[in-house]
Amino acid sequence: MAHIALATGFLLFLIGLYGALTNRNLLRMIVAFTVADAGINVVIVAVGHMRGRTAPILDGAVPAAEAASRIIDPVPQALVLTAIVIGVGITALMLAYAYKLYEARRSLDIGKFMELKW
Amino acid sequence: MIRRAAALALIAALGALLLPLLLGYHPDEALNLTACYYAERTAADLGAANIVTAIVVTYRGLDTLGEVTVLFLSAAVVGLVLARGRTATTGGRPRLPAGELLTTGSRLLAPLIMLLGIYIFVNGHLTPGGGFQGGAVIASGVLLLLLAEPGRRLGHRVIALVESLSGLAYVAIGVAGLVYAGGFLDNRILPIGTLGELASAGAIPVIYSLIGLKVGAEFSSMLANLSETEEL
Amino acid sequence: MVSPLVLIAAPLAGAFLLGLVRCPRAALAVTLATLGLAAAAAGWWVWQLGWAGAEAVEVFTAGTPPPFAIALRMGLPEAALTLVITLTGLLSALHMQDNLAETGHRAMAVLLVAVMAYCGIVLTRDLFNLFVFFELAAIATAGLILLSADARALGAGFKYLVVSQVISALLLIGIIFTYHATGTLYLDGIAAAAAKPALAFFLVFIAIAAELKPFPANGWALDVYESSHPAFSALISAAAGAASLYAADKLLTVGGPAWLPAATAIGIVTFVAGNLLALPQGNDRRLLGYSSVAQIGLVLAVAGQRDVLGEHYHFVAFGLLASHAVAKAGLFWLSGMVAERGLAAWAALRARPPLIFAFATFVAMLAGLPPFPGFYAKWELVRVLAAEGRLVLLGLILFGALLEAGYLFRWFGFALKREPSGEGLACAPSKGIPVLAAVLAAWGLAWQWGDASAQANLLLGLPLLFALAFVLLDWLPAWVKNTLAIAGLAAWFALTLGQYDPLRLIFAVIMLAGGAVTLLASYHAHGRRIGFYPSAMLMYAGLAQLILAADTFSFFAAWEILTVGSYFLILRGRHSEPHALSYIVFSLGGAFLILAGFAVAADGAASFAVADLATLAAPVAPWVFLMLAIGFMTKTASIGLHVWLPGAHAEAETDVSPMVSGILLKAGLFGLAVLLLAMGRQKLGGIDLTLAMLWIGAASALLGNLMAIFQEDAKRLLAYSSIGQMGYALFGLAMMNHLGWLMALMFVINHYIYKSMLFLAVGGVAKRTGTRDMYRMGGLINLMPLSFISVLVGIIAMSGVPPLSGFGGRWIFYNALLTAESRLPMILIFFSGPIAFLYLFRLIHTIFLGQLKDEHRRVKEAPFWLMVPQMIYVVLLIAFALVPGVALRQVDGHLGGLLPAGGLSWDGLTITSDFGYWNPVAIMVIVGIIFTTLFLWLVFVNRRAQKVKQFNIVFAAERPFRPETTHFAWNFFAPYRKALGFLVQPVATGFWNGISGGLHAGADFTRRLYTGNAQTYAVHLLVFVVAVHLFMTGM
Repeated sequence: MAHIALATGFLLFLIGLYGALTNRNLLRMIVAFTVADAGINVVIVAVGHMRGRTAPILDGAVPAAEAASRIIDPVPQALVLTAIVIGVGITALMLAYAYKLYEARRSLDIGKFMELKW
Repeated sequence: MIRRAAALALIAALGALLLPLLLGYHPDEALNLTACYYAERTAADLGAANIVTAIVVTYRGLDTLGEVTVLFLSAAVVGLVLARGRTATTGGRPRLPAGELLTTGSRLLAPLIMLLGIYIFVNGHLTPGGGFQGGAVIASGVLLLLLAEPGRRLGHRVIALVESLSGLAYVAIGVAGLVYAGGFLDNRILPIGTLGELASAGAIPVIYSLIGLKVGAEFSSMLANLSETEEL
Repeated sequence: MVSPLVLIAAPLAGAFLLGLVRCPRAALAVTLATLGLAAAAAGWWVWQLGWAGAEAVEVFTAGTPPPFAIALRMGLPEAALTLVITLTGLLSALHMQDNLAETGHRAMAVLLVAVMAYCGIVLTRDLFNLFVFFELAAIATAGLILLSADARALGAGFKYLVVSQVISALLLIGIIFTYHATGTLYLDGIAAAAAKPALAFFLVFIAIAAELKPFPANGWALDVYESSHPAFSALISAAAGAASLYAADKLLTVGGPAWLPAATAIGIVTFVAGNLLALPQGNDRRLLGYSSVAQIGLVLAVAGQRDVLGEHYHFVAFGLLASHAVAKAGLFWLSGMVAERGLAAWAALRARPPLIFAFATFVAMLAGLPPFPGFYAKWELVRVLAAEGRLVLLGLILFGALLEAGYLFRWFGFALKREPSGEGLACAPSKGIPVLAAVLAAWGLAWQWGDASAQANLLLGLPLLFALAFVLLDWLPAWVKNTLAIAGLAAWFALTLGQYDPLRLIFAVIMLAGGAVTLLASYHAHGRRIGFYPSAMLMYAGLAQLILAADTFSFFAAWEILTVGSYFLILRGRHSEPHALSYIVFSLGGAFLILAGFAVAADGAASFAVADLATLAAPVAPWVFLMLAIGFMTKTASIGLHVWLPGAHAEAETDVSPMVSGILLKAGLFGLAVLLLAMGRQKLGGIDLTLAMLWIGAASALLGNLMAIFQEDAKRLLAYSSIGQMGYALFGLAMMNHLGWLMALMFVINHYIYKSMLFLAVGGVAKRTGTRDMYRMGGLINLMPLSFISVLVGIIAMSGVPPLSGFGGRWIFYNALLTAESRLPMILIFFSGPIAFLYLFRLIHTIFLGQLKDEHRRVKEAPFWLMVPQMIYVVLLIAFALVPGVALRQVDGHLGGLLPAGGLSWDGLTITSDFGYWNPVAIMVIVGIIFTTLFLWLVFVNRRAQKVKQFNIVFAAERPFRPETTHFAWNFFAPYRKALGFLVQPVATGFWNGISGGLHAGADFTRRLYTGNAQTYAVHLLVFVVAVHLFMTGM
């Protein structure tokens, strides 16, 4: 189970990265990066998963005393939250940049923004 | 074509590099030291039922403060990017007004959505969800309004006020933890109460509410800024 | 007790508060106050940890100890780095306050968060927290790039975002698997974990390394540097660079020694490649970008050497980092004041001498020159690397540093010599204050590093302080400063007189007393002569300290000081820009060889006396000898390494030429004398190295003289002649016998006197006639009789004919030759004597005799103050010719103790050797009688000669296209050129030009790697990751 999730995550990451490297359209690149981000998030969650355990919330079903043997690792879940939020922030930023670049050149082709080089 | 093949080869190489991570992965049988500590001590020490929330808001509170700052920063930079070199836009083409049905429906739904968002972040220490989720839900309400009534300008001032005040309050609570409790962002400046009640877990609900407000404000600000680009 | 959390909470609170402030000025005040508060907190910690004896603290957040909650650490390194970060932030904010106020509170908030994020990267002890701060820094960077007025910044920002996405993805994967394997995110916990996840940690490591902009995965960084607002570039270069480096350092501590070679390799490749690629850059900010990338690479390489650096690690790494941060920030701020982007546009700085001083300070600091921290750091680093046998790394570091010095000094030359173009300087106080602060920081750090160094604090050296005082006194009129300078030299000489042995005394007399005499000529200058005295006195300070240096550190420091001083001095000449550059590049190249030689010799010892070179044994000794000898021979311009000399000496100002020729060259001879005295003969691979030196000396004498005869330019002629003269001296020293040394010292004295005199005389003539080409002169004997006398006396002395002191030199020389073993080089050197006649003859014949040019009819004698030292030299020459014993007898005795066989016997006025005797007075009398007789006879036979007016010769043809070709003195020795021209083909010049051209072409080709396409940059990054992984698993 964990391996399937992990493999899916890695695959998504690689697909996203491939897309980001080969699509010349800015918006497609950004979408590709969100795919890659999603893949990473899947990987993070998958790493915290443990077979047969439940979510790390203490309630009637999971009393505090038994928590250590009943819940999955809560840390990756906390980390993935941060990772998702950061991903969202960067995506928003890239979109704003893409918009502004489009405004400047009326083009979304990444190859049009190469005046700085060497 | 060569370009794609080269990219594919590179991605394949990277995949090969990462492959040992996948193949060598063995799920843990028991919680590791850190996780075990959280599982055993959270309830007693912090009084939060949702352990993830306890980690997010308190144990790794500095990360979360950073995370909120990331959103703040993104919103600010989106504003900066879009404001850059902008000449006063003169309205653009006139738009068709939104239909009666859409307007009424969205006005009916938006407060409910916001209420749900508030519920989610207020209960963050008890149930799944929290400030970020709640904030996102609130922002989705704002998005609904924006989509339903594109001509309408959002109150940037209000958003900025919520953004700043909730941020300041968050930092202030953090510093209060430094002064009145064990350290920066320690939630035990308020009594931790009884596990599972709404008013428990010390400052966690307060912090999460502030986060919810702030996240909602940041997302709204980003959305508002992005939506205004449509006029071009 | 200030909590370190202030550094995070205060900027955050400030950033959030800014949303409430409407007025831009008020918002700016909030921003500056917040940054000031953070800087004060960091400064307080530096004080507490560095001076007040406080212990490093670990700060727990959430009231829970690590690894269960995030912890921060504040130790001295953290305090110092956060101080750098906050101060750079504060000053950069000040610098770009107009842009900030214009853009509004959002930009200020972003700036505050950026500073907070850099501090967080430094302080945090948690891996994931590190990631969060890096992301904050990345987003803030993407925001601050937009402050630039450059429209291309938008593209650069997007490229940056693309690359940072890839980096953060790798980092996240690495972090989560590291957590999975070790069960903790606390850095110390990971370090202590039993099983370290190699691959996961690799991803973390490589991601942080990628933040350091390693070659070739750094195209995005260069684009950002080029297009950003310079104040923000200062922040990226100094603050972000320092923070990322510290993150890498933490990871290396966690990862352990296995990761050090990779860090070193990435670092050194980046250092060399960055500096190489900087060579063809024409845009100042892009150049600074390449230099930043390179410097950070160097510090990373040093971090990779922490295993051998041990307790010196922080001293070295922080020395280099501090130099980088202060100088780079200062240069970026300066760049914000210069209106245009070409390197030559920096000529605008000349309008404000303090800014030139700032520029010089930053360049010297970056190049690692004394007394700045980089110098001490480099010394320690090289010492340790040499002791550990890591010679390849050592060589690469020095090579990269030389490249860096090359482009920095070329740029500095542009600023000083190129014509400032239209747009000037933005000189608002808000722009000037950060630069001033950086200058103060530079000198403060120089003091601090000297103080902390195991070596002497250079800023305690009286000569250096005296030279630096002239920077502050530069507002005084030139004649006051000149008097002060002469008094200073004389006083120092008097003060230290007791400390010299006879050998050193000769050099001291020439460099200090001789320097004072040469300075008399400088009274002719009017006005303030800004910059002259600090440079000249810096050179003299270096010389003064060189003679007294007992250990290798002070020797090398003095060597670098005199090199820099003389560089600034040479650069003052009107057309000297390219020559000054080749001078400094060759000199620093030589200096680096000396540094490496000393380091290898010391074999790890903290302090090594120069005299202890004698204790070295094979197999180290010959290599040390070789490196030191080549280093010193660069300064004496031995053939092959001479290409810098002619231009540098000829293009220098009139009164500078004698200083750099008559005095400065002796520094190289002094070094060689010290070296040979200590190490004697050395054999390398069956070759006797002193014999090789003998050959080099002979070749220098022959070819130097030969090249001199074909010169049309009188000063160039004298310059080439110096190559020949130094060849004689080198030859004498390399003979390694008593007479050889005596002859070399005789040359040291003679060369100083007559070369200074001739340079002044010719300089005076050139000043009056407005040309240095000899065929444009002629017949000046009546108009400039005093100059004629000094040239006449000079060439008699120099050519070694009786009765003047040159003959004494020759006489000892021939005696020495007869005792030497090698006959063939002896023949060479014998032949170079007559060749010297050929060019010397031209000086007197072409300039003073023959027909007066029409345009020179009203020429007056050279200025009074140029003549004064010349007349002193005339007297000295005659005196030295009459009683050479005054100077030489002591030395002879002294040498007798060192090189026993075959001294001279001094008997009254007669000097006797194994082959004959020499009585200077008798010779003077005899020559006088012969001359008077001949002169009277000539007057008698020519008593009926008729005077002919100049213009009763008629040119019966039209004016030729190149009129100078009709002058008899033009191409005077054409027949010789036909016969011997092959010997003076500029082989060496061609060789060095080829190297320089090759480097430039290579750099120009390589930099095309940076296509400007974001996807290409991402590909570079991934290729870099894969390549490093292969490199590491292959190891």
